[in-house]
Amino acid sequence: MTTTAPNALVQGTLDLVILKTLSWGPRHGYAIARWIESTTDDALRIEEGSLYPALYRMQHRRWIAAEWGESHEGRRIKLYSLTPKGRTELRAQTARWGDCVVAMAKVLQSA
Amino acid sequence: MTRRGPLWRIPPDRGVDDELAGHMAELIKKYMADGLDETSARAKAAERFGDVSTVRDECSEIAHHIEDDMRKIEYAQELRQDVAYALRSFRRAPGFTLIAILTLAIGIGANTAIFSVVRSTLLRPLPYPNAEQLVQVWSDHRQRGREQPEWMTPPDFADWRDQNHTFSSMAAYQGWFPDLTSGGDPESLAGFLVSGDFFKTLGAAPALGRLLTTADDDPGVEPVVVLSHAFWERRFGGDSSVLRRVLTLDGLPYTVVGVLPKDFRTPMPVAADVFRATRRPANAGCGRGCVVLRVIGRLMPNATFAEAQSDLSDIASRIAKEYPASNDKVGAWLIPLHEQVTGTTKAALLALTGAVALVLLIGCVNLASLLLVRGAGRERELSVRAALGAGSGRIVRQLLTENAVLALAGGALGLLIGIGGSNTLGVLVPAGVRRVQEIHFDGGVLAFTAGITLLAGAIFGLLPALQTARGNFMGTLRNGGREMGPRGGTLRGRLVVPQLALAVVLLVGAGLLLRSFLLMERVDFGYRTEGVLFATVGLPQSRYPDAARIVGAMDGLLARIRANPSVRSAELVDEAPLTAGDQDITAIAVGEPAQGDHNNSIWYRAVTAGYMNEMHLHIVAGRTFTDADRAGGAMVGIVNEQAARRYWPGKDPIGRQLATSEAPDASKLTVVGVVNNARQDGPNQPYKSELFIPFSQLPSRGVTLVVEPSRDIAAATTAIRSALKATDAFVPAPHVVTIESLVGDTTELPKMYATLVGVFAAMAMLLAALGVYGVMAYTVSQRRREIGVRLALGAEPSAIRRAVLVQGGMLALLGVGIGLAAALLLGRALRALLFGVSAFDAPTFVIAPLLLGAMTLLASWIPAQRAMRVDPIIAIRDE
Repeated sequence: MTTTAPNALVQGTLDLVILKTLSWGPRHGYAIARWIESTTDDALRIEEGSLYPALYRMQHRRWIAAEWGESHEGRRIKLYSLTPKGRTELRAQTARWGDCVVAMAKVLQSA
Repeated sequence: MTRRGPLWRIPPDRGVDDELAGHMAELIKKYMADGLDETSARAKAAERFGDVSTVRDECSEIAHHIEDDMRKIEYAQELRQDVAYALRSFRRAPGFTLIAILTLAIGIGANTAIFSVVRSTLLRPLPYPNAEQLVQVWSDHRQRGREQPEWMTPPDFADWRDQNHTFSSMAAYQGWFPDLTSGGDPESLAGFLVSGDFFKTLGAAPALGRLLTTADDDPGVEPVVVLSHAFWERRFGGDSSVLRRVLTLDGLPYTVVGVLPKDFRTPMPVAADVFRATRRPANAGCGRGCVVLRVIGRLMPNATFAEAQSDLSDIASRIAKEYPASNDKVGAWLIPLHEQVTGTTKAALLALTGAVALVLLIGCVNLASLLLVRGAGRERELSVRAALGAGSGRIVRQLLTENAVLALAGGALGLLIGIGGSNTLGVLVPAGVRRVQEIHFDGGVLAFTAGITLLAGAIFGLLPALQTARGNFMGTLRNGGREMGPRGGTLRGRLVVPQLALAVVLLVGAGLLLRSFLLMERVDFGYRTEGVLFATVGLPQSRYPDAARIVGAMDGLLARIRANPSVRSAELVDEAPLTAGDQDITAIAVGEPAQGDHNNSIWYRAVTAGYMNEMHLHIVAGRTFTDADRAGGAMVGIVNEQAARRYWPGKDPIGRQLATSEAPDASKLTVVGVVNNARQDGPNQPYKSELFIPFSQLPSRGVTLVVEPSRDIAAATTAIRSALKATDAFVPAPHVVTIESLVGDTTELPKMYATLVGVFAAMAMLLAALGVYGVMAYTVSQRRREIGVRLALGAEPSAIRRAVLVQGGMLALLGVGIGLAAALLLGRALRALLFGVSAFDAPTFVIAPLLLGAMTLLASWIPAQRAMRVDPIIAIRDE
């Protein structure tokens, strides 16, 4: 299935990654996948299909907005962009993630 | 990235498919660019992407939710836009808006107010548990020639109560007006003697102590009373130590055992302070000849009204066979208690409901008509909107929003009017009914107001909105907005017809009620209706146990009052006219053939010698009473013309004798005079057979003083009070009213009904006139060019005016004709409210249409004048 690959992202982490991706500007789904791949050197190895339910869910929650646009080749594409609400969410999740990393590091170093 | 549109314009499923397919295509392209052949690129892309169909399903589901949200938001936005647009367009047409809102507010307000009265009185059950089981039980004397329900005799009541199979309980009551002489100022109280299960029958529970029970009926037990909550608070300050206190009532001790709850209402039209048990064996006293009791019963839960009626009828016919002398042709007459209490109010309230409904309906039609004009005037504006991409559905919604805003504004204002009105319109219901069924505004009335607001909005709004939206906007735009499709004009013309018809119905109704009231006002009562005061005086039995003492006290009292210079004359009567008092006995003409099936009841009054003179009753034959007609002397009486004709048809009644029953030892009296017929119970009540008896020969403790003031009312009132105080300081101060106020009371309700329906009819007529004017003015303005051409070709201006007037006349004829037919059908509903006129009263049916016809012509006159003055050159050039 979609999220059970070896390096599957924990539920919720994918949202943070997408929010972060969109913080640089509007992108369509394919571009988001490419950005994640190149930024992480494909370390996350997500199944790209799993991006879409996440995108739709976040759109429903009004974290991101979507509108139809046209690609350079004149193809109809759907562009996602961060809403103010999404930006707030991004900040909150980033902080939580940082706390989590620090905590994990302490646990692992204590061994 | 040039074209951007709202996302939801693309169906959600297709959006998802496009998006996912786009991703796959790019992925495949990327792998092919990396050097893979198409087949491997596809395989790799599929692997990289994961399961497409799962993703698609998941996404479509969310996409649908997103779309729903978007639709809601957009709808709200459009509504906000429409409302803002509506408010803007109303600001641009303040005159139209004001008229529209006021028309609606008055119509809705009137309906709300009347409905609150209807709901409180007619629709709400009486304030008793399972009130639908309660019935009033009467004797039926219709076969004996008495049309009104008759009270019951104590033995009949006992038989009916004990032998029936359909009542869970049955209770009797009668009025009781004791004087309270213990603890503080003496006071005349109003109350009831009730049989022990009275409160059980009504389902009342005490607020304090206990209520009466059947045990209290036993003459051997301690006499007790139960107090009303209002009396308890007024006299005892709501002190609970009142229990076990002993009150002296008519000189006898009664122990207070309980207080009724604040919201308890007796089903009688009068308020009561105290209740005591009858404490009398059912067969005591005057037996089966003496109708003194009123009876209420509670049906068993499984018994129907019809079963109860036939049950009691069976019992009544058994008694009739057993005691034919007293009970022959006496039946049982059951009336549901709710009907008994609200009785005569129903017809009036229904008539008023109809009247206000018609006013609202005419108002709505008028509004529809106004909106059609407005719509016609706005075709250009709407065409522009249509050209800019608004679909016709969108435009209808816009127009409906405007109408909804109007309806809401009218409804809100109407609600305020209605709340104010429901407080004042309570007077439409007799005080006696209002006492039991209090009138107030509640959630039900609010729901009603909301309902009629919606309904009104639909009636006046839908047709014009559809009509306007159906117009050919593009055509209008091309024609510079000048051309008006003929449909709107014709439709408006047709709308005038129902308006006129409804107005005729209202006008006829108002006319009938007004004629009734005027006839009632002009009725000759047969006695003076101004210039005397009535003062009720009651002597306590304890100090005035016998006739001699009563007559002595009354003589002294009258002498003292007459001696006062502020009084011209003073007399007394035991039951004054125009008050609820009503007493009758059976009387038989001695030596005359039996009256057969005739009712032998005669209504009697005991009066002092100068009473006839004082009241301006005139003696038609024989003589009036003198001071020589005293106790111990020969028993004498004066009958009215009706009684004279009934007992001695074609003969001179003077010197003949009346016996109070067929018994050989019955007391007989000699007729010494005949007095004119008089309407003792009010202008709309029939004459009765009457008998007057000298007060000294039939004295009673409760009387009404009839006093003619020589100067002003206040001085005479003081004279009466001080004379009573000098006669007996312990008798409560009398209640004094002018005869004018009693006369006014009798026509108060008819006057109010006539006035209200008259006001509604006037409103209807005004609205209809506006409607006619609007249509005619519109027609003339639309036909300006045609008129101009005709004038240019040499038509007479007066012929043009005539043509316009004829058109108005045709509308009037059609509307009035339909209205008259409807009025003929509906007039019957008013019958119960009419007096002296039939429901098909010819003058009303002639005058009402003439009035409306004249008004229609008047409303057409101004546009017709305008048509005549059209300047052909300007009219033609303008086009």
